[in-house]
Amino acid sequence: MATDFWSSSHYKRWIVDRATLRQARADDLLYIDDPEHLDFLAIYFADVIGKLGKKLNIAQRAIATATVFFRRFYLKNSYCETDPFMVIAACMYVAAKAEETPIHIKNIVQDARHTFSQDHYGVKNFPSDNSKLAEMEFYLVDDLECDLTVFHPYRTLLALCKSDEGAQDASPADEEEAGEVGVGLTPDDGPRYWGTGDGQLELPPNGLQTAWFIVNDTYRSELCLLYPPHLIAIAALYLACIFHPATQGIVAARLAAGASASASTNTEPPPRRSSRQAAERKQPAQDPLEFLAALNVSLPLIATIAQEIISMYTLWERYKEDSVSAGAADPGSPAKGTPDSRGDDEPGGVVTPALLTVVLTKMREARLQDIAHPAGGRPGAVNKMLERTQAAG
Amino acid sequence: MVPTRIVPKATGFKPIGLNSSSLKKFFPGDEEDMDISSDMSVVADPEPTPQSAIDHTPEPQAEKSNTPIPPQSTEDEQPLPRLPSSPLAPSRGSSVVMEEEMPESSLPRESSPVPPSAQPPLDTTDTGASTPSVQTRSELYAIVSQVGEGTFGKVYKAQNTVTKLHVALKRIRMESEKEGFPVTAMREIKLLQSLRHENVVRLYEMMVSNGSVYMVFEYMDHDLTGILSQTQFIFTDAHLKSLSHQMLAGLAYLHHKGVIHRDIKGSNILINNRGELKLADFGLARFYQKRRRTDYTNRVITLWYRPPELLFGATIYGPEVDMWSAGCIMLELFTKKPVFQGNDEIHQLDTIYRVIGTPTADRWGDVANLPWYELVKPREETPNHFREMFRKWMSPAALDLAERLLCYDPTARATAVQAMEAPYFTQEEPPASAPVGLVTLRGEWHELETKRERAKKRRRNETAIQ
Repeated sequence: MATDFWSSSHYKRWIVDRATLRQARADDLLYIDDPEHLDFLAIYFADVIGKLGKKLNIAQRAIATATVFFRRFYLKNSYCETDPFMVIAACMYVAAKAEETPIHIKNIVQDARHTFSQDHYGVKNFPSDNSKLAEMEFYLVDDLECDLTVFHPYRTLLALCKSDEGAQDASPADEEEAGEVGVGLTPDDGPRYWGTGDGQLELPPNGLQTAWFIVNDTYRSELCLLYPPHLIAIAALYLACIFHPATQGIVAARLAAGASASASTNTEPPPRRSSRQAAERKQPAQDPLEFLAALNVSLPLIATIAQEIISMYTLWERYKEDSVSAGAADPGSPAKGTPDSRGDDEPGGVVTPALLTVVLTKMREARLQDIAHPAGGRPGAVNKMLERTQAAG
Repeated sequence: MVPTRIVPKATGFKPIGLNSSSLKKFFPGDEEDMDISSDMSVVADPEPTPQSAIDHTPEPQAEKSNTPIPPQSTEDEQPLPRLPSSPLAPSRGSSVVMEEEMPESSLPRESSPVPPSAQPPLDTTDTGASTPSVQTRSELYAIVSQVGEGTFGKVYKAQNTVTKLHVALKRIRMESEKEGFPVTAMREIKLLQSLRHENVVRLYEMMVSNGSVYMVFEYMDHDLTGILSQTQFIFTDAHLKSLSHQMLAGLAYLHHKGVIHRDIKGSNILINNRGELKLADFGLARFYQKRRRTDYTNRVITLWYRPPELLFGATIYGPEVDMWSAGCIMLELFTKKPVFQGNDEIHQLDTIYRVIGTPTADRWGDVANLPWYELVKPREETPNHFREMFRKWMSPAALDLAERLLCYDPTARATAVQAMEAPYFTQEEPPASAPVGLVTLRGEWHELETKRERAKKRRRNETAIQ
């Protein structure tokens, strides 16, 4: 069964470790003054992709796929040696096709030109010629090794959660959005490889939506290269339960109750297991933490992912759109509420897209200069060898 | 040597590009479009130029007739020296290996077959240091001949210059595409990468070479149209039963996976010398939603194999459309030529009426609600002649099954799984038996060659008349 995640190229070939990520940025590190800016660039590029996607009015899933393509591409390439804006346009173009919502190449070119030429990106010279994008598409598909099926956390979210507002039937659009075209299984066919298969988590109103937004936000980091999507989904659910006011109370109470309480619950028949009918009879809310704990996944791993999501939010906190540089944080994101007690004493302080654009341009110029004057560049092994040979000769 | 395809690795490929080669591409201008046609001849066409090692294996197919070696096992026993990478073609850093992908061969390897592919995406990030094997990877396939014309490009028979194994290369036509990489190709790639079944053609990997994208398939010696047109090898009833069964098994798998093929026809059904049948060409295939039926185009499926509901304009349909085509193929297995050969949509329906009669309300309740019913409905009633016409070729149980596949009402048409449980397979003698004797068949039979042969004959006849 090759359509399942475990036998997919996504799992087998495109989940990498931190060391690999570091290595992929090795060249960029040579040309950047503040290494932290590389992390901000991850957010910056995700934002650009999101903006272009919105402009094109494309489905969230295709935006997510484009972002994953972008990250995969830069596992093999450096920011400083490529034109990330061209890559973004190509990623969007390929993702739209791969997700069965193709867009005309001229529309992409047009909207990319428009979006990228905005002040803080300042790309005034994006080629208006379709053939440049078509060519880039080719290189992109090559570097993606033609692995065009991407799994996303959204499907796991829908499979695990039951939204309160009788939304199960009311959200075919969501389901459409979440299902991978090309992995034509809906959540209820096939085994639920990630969990116990028992019941679904019942979330308060908007709970699922919160989790959904958190998943959207994870694309600002490189999590999609590090962890399988279903784990990201579970981590997002966990965070949603903590952030969301309605579940926050339950979670807090449970945590306060501590070890003694958990010992006693273990002896009771778990109410959560009494499955859907019970839930539909409006029984007292199930315990979300216990539900998550019963899933057949590594909880330490989920905790790690949750931690990384929080770190991303911490970083993002310091990333401010230029126009509203006074610091109007995006209210839509759940984690923006964290007090910026630490933001100030950080060396970098606020980072803006405009600043990052400058950083990026500098990197690319420095790199180009190195190509032009190799002597000043990295201590190239080739050169040394040449010297030695010449010395010997 | 076990020639079975134990291939744990996912379909895909490793670009051999060094780090620098992939970035060079980014600044176009330093390497402008390569002349594809001339490059092709460099990679390809080993016949005239004595440049490649395959020359000393003269036309392996011809020998095969008296060797019982299955076609996919290694053809050479002696270890071949690695070719020095061809001086003719500057490797563009995108050709591909498939050693790990292919069945075990007797060639010496640098290392054990433990997949070095554990983290393939990464080896190119390695600055500078390239593995020694990279150099030998440049010209991996030598094109032997053209064997077909797919929905979006030519299909070639090619030989792996290292393992000597044959593959089918399908070149994705890009130059004529205004919209870059064709969506249909993307769909086919995604579909095939997610399918794995003994009756579905296997996509080994993708390959980018000289500015073209190739799909690398397992090589199949014949297609159904081609093999039914030859007269050397006579298929027994047991063989035909096996072929029918294999086709249905492939369809059952596809439908289980939520895929409608939408182009089942003789030239898309491939057969190898071991008597294995595999479905191919997924250029028109789609994933479908099992629970919700959605609108699709009805301009699919080659006319002769197109089910009546599509001819009546239906745009909401499911896997039943493939089952009609399967019914057509089943008859064709016995009669050796397509049964419903219409010239256009209307004539196609007429041809069907003449065999199985006109659709009536009791045979097909919904027919009057279909979009084009008023336009194309039958002028007069024709009775069903199906059994009388096919009795001389087929057994009673075979007739029963064919009739259930060629059922007008799509909702009553047999599904692939139901068809596989039919008495034809489970009760009636003889039991199915794969036509393994095909190994003795000389030549390779593809629709393309059959067509060419026919054209040649026609020309000869014409000149003879003059």
